[in-house]
Amino acid sequence: MTDRGPGSKSGWGEVIASLIAVTVALIFAFPIYWAFSQSLRNPLDTYTVAGLGVPWINFTPTLDNWIDQLGTPETGMALYNSTVISISAAILALVLGTPAAYAIARFRFARWSNRDITIWFLSQRVLPPVATVIPFYLTMRYLGLLDTKFALILINATFVLPYVVVILRQTFLDLPVELEEAAMIDGAGHWGAFWRIAVPLAAPSMAAAGLIIFAFTWNEFLFAVSIGSSKAITVPVHIAGAIDTRGVQFWFMGVRAMTAIIPPVIIALIAQRYIVRGLTLGAVRG
Amino acid sequence: MRWTGKIRFLLLAPAVIWVLAFTVFPLGYSLYLAFYKIEQKVEIKREKEVILDADGKPVLDDNGQPRTKNVVIKEQVNIATFIGLDNFKRLFSDPQVAEAIRVTLLFVLIAVPVELALGFLLAVLFNQHIFGRPVLRTVMILPIFATPLAVGYTFFTIFYEVGGPLAWTGIPFLSNPNWALISVILVDVWQWTPFCFLVFLAALQGVPDELYEAARVDGASAMDMLREVMLPLLVPTIIIVLLLRMAEALKLFDIPFALTGGGPGVATQPFSLLAFRTGLRFFDLGYASAMAYALLIVVMIVVTLFFRRLRMNYD
Repeated sequence: MTDRGPGSKSGWGEVIASLIAVTVALIFAFPIYWAFSQSLRNPLDTYTVAGLGVPWINFTPTLDNWIDQLGTPETGMALYNSTVISISAAILALVLGTPAAYAIARFRFARWSNRDITIWFLSQRVLPPVATVIPFYLTMRYLGLLDTKFALILINATFVLPYVVVILRQTFLDLPVELEEAAMIDGAGHWGAFWRIAVPLAAPSMAAAGLIIFAFTWNEFLFAVSIGSSKAITVPVHIAGAIDTRGVQFWFMGVRAMTAIIPPVIIALIAQRYIVRGLTLGAVRG
Repeated sequence: MRWTGKIRFLLLAPAVIWVLAFTVFPLGYSLYLAFYKIEQKVEIKREKEVILDADGKPVLDDNGQPRTKNVVIKEQVNIATFIGLDNFKRLFSDPQVAEAIRVTLLFVLIAVPVELALGFLLAVLFNQHIFGRPVLRTVMILPIFATPLAVGYTFFTIFYEVGGPLAWTGIPFLSNPNWALISVILVDVWQWTPFCFLVFLAALQGVPDELYEAARVDGASAMDMLREVMLPLLVPTIIIVLLLRMAEALKLFDIPFALTGGGPGVATQPFSLLAFRTGLRFFDLGYASAMAYALLIVVMIVVTLFFRRLRMNYD
């Protein structure tokens, strides 16, 4: 890689910039480190630990909170629910969104232009969810689906569908159309070209989109707290439950925050290459 | 090259129908609710019920009559009364709404520009050959994907005024209304500056090297390079990030829910938290729907601006 940008630095400039990089990285990593540090403390140490709360230096770490929290059936249920809901919503959104993305990328729509269809999907993503949460709640109550994973799978699949459409539309556009044409000359038909040629080629992109939307569903809170009350509790709702009449129990909060944060963050690191495109709804190619 | 086979409708229809069912239908339903006053009442009825024995036969008392017990039956009843535009009128005279609008606007107008500015500065700084860049880029992914609710509670422990890691500053992070709003903004800045940074960095890396070279040959200073080369090339990206962040910031919910609970008082209660509480905690569903619609209209205005700009990217 060559030097680029204004005032390409060397010598001291490079050192100073690197120092800033490290400082910024530490600042942005600190809160997650802090949650981890909290999770290793005895309740007694919570409010009395000095400085930056470094294990072994400022206090004697213990795994008791982790053992205690991970051992409760509620934590297990929340992790299980969140996993089931996130995976199901991701699969559902991929199943619905991939053909739609292919249709927009490869076919010409006359009455509404392809662009308008894409924009329409995108606009769903920008709607404030609080506008739909009340009617959705009432509908689910009417159907007897309150406090079920099923209701949360339905709504989360809807929320992440635009991401699938937009990310995969771009993926299909980037694929060479000649392969599909060749397949159709061999008598495969449009469906064959889509299912046997385009989908396998788009598989890595589908996997990345699946990972990113898994993380979105995992982090969703407004609908989770509205729909779930005792059985369909997700991880973020479980976190909110760590507050009781005695106030926030910092040591348990640390554990719960870590169990919530670790899965989506690991997923984001795996899907790194697709994050910029995904988060800007395909508007910026990273 | 675009095909026109009929199968295109079959491919597209499931997703379109799905979205219609789960967003457009609720939105319509919500509009209907906004014209009603909905009261939830629990009706209590007392009834006498015959006591049965193990075989399902009534237990008889000494007089040979079936013995009964009193049973309390609770029934939840919704009463919907059409009240026209009253819910919307109420919005204008409700001090809680005014406060929520103030909080939301202050939040959007402070947090979003700060995030963009910081993200831009960092991106320009680390667009160069710096050994720390891969590390920084990796670290910056963490806040974006960290569960916002967990982040809110973690910052609650960081801002804790007795014994927290920032207690030495003596700042009343969560107990003073103004500081509480600043704290909410700080958390959002922590979570979303990395997003701005990553997007700007990606855009900067897309600038061809020749442009920098040409400018350097012309004797441009670092400041010139920033103003004359980078800024103009980044304007489209900046507008997209600005509008995306604004649309997201207007939905603010998780962070104040966890960090401050909207408090102290209602000093950090944004519009969506107010609508959520009104609808799903106090079950004033009609009024909450009107609130949601008011928010929807504001977001629609932002979004219309946004999509006019965005359309160009989807040709």
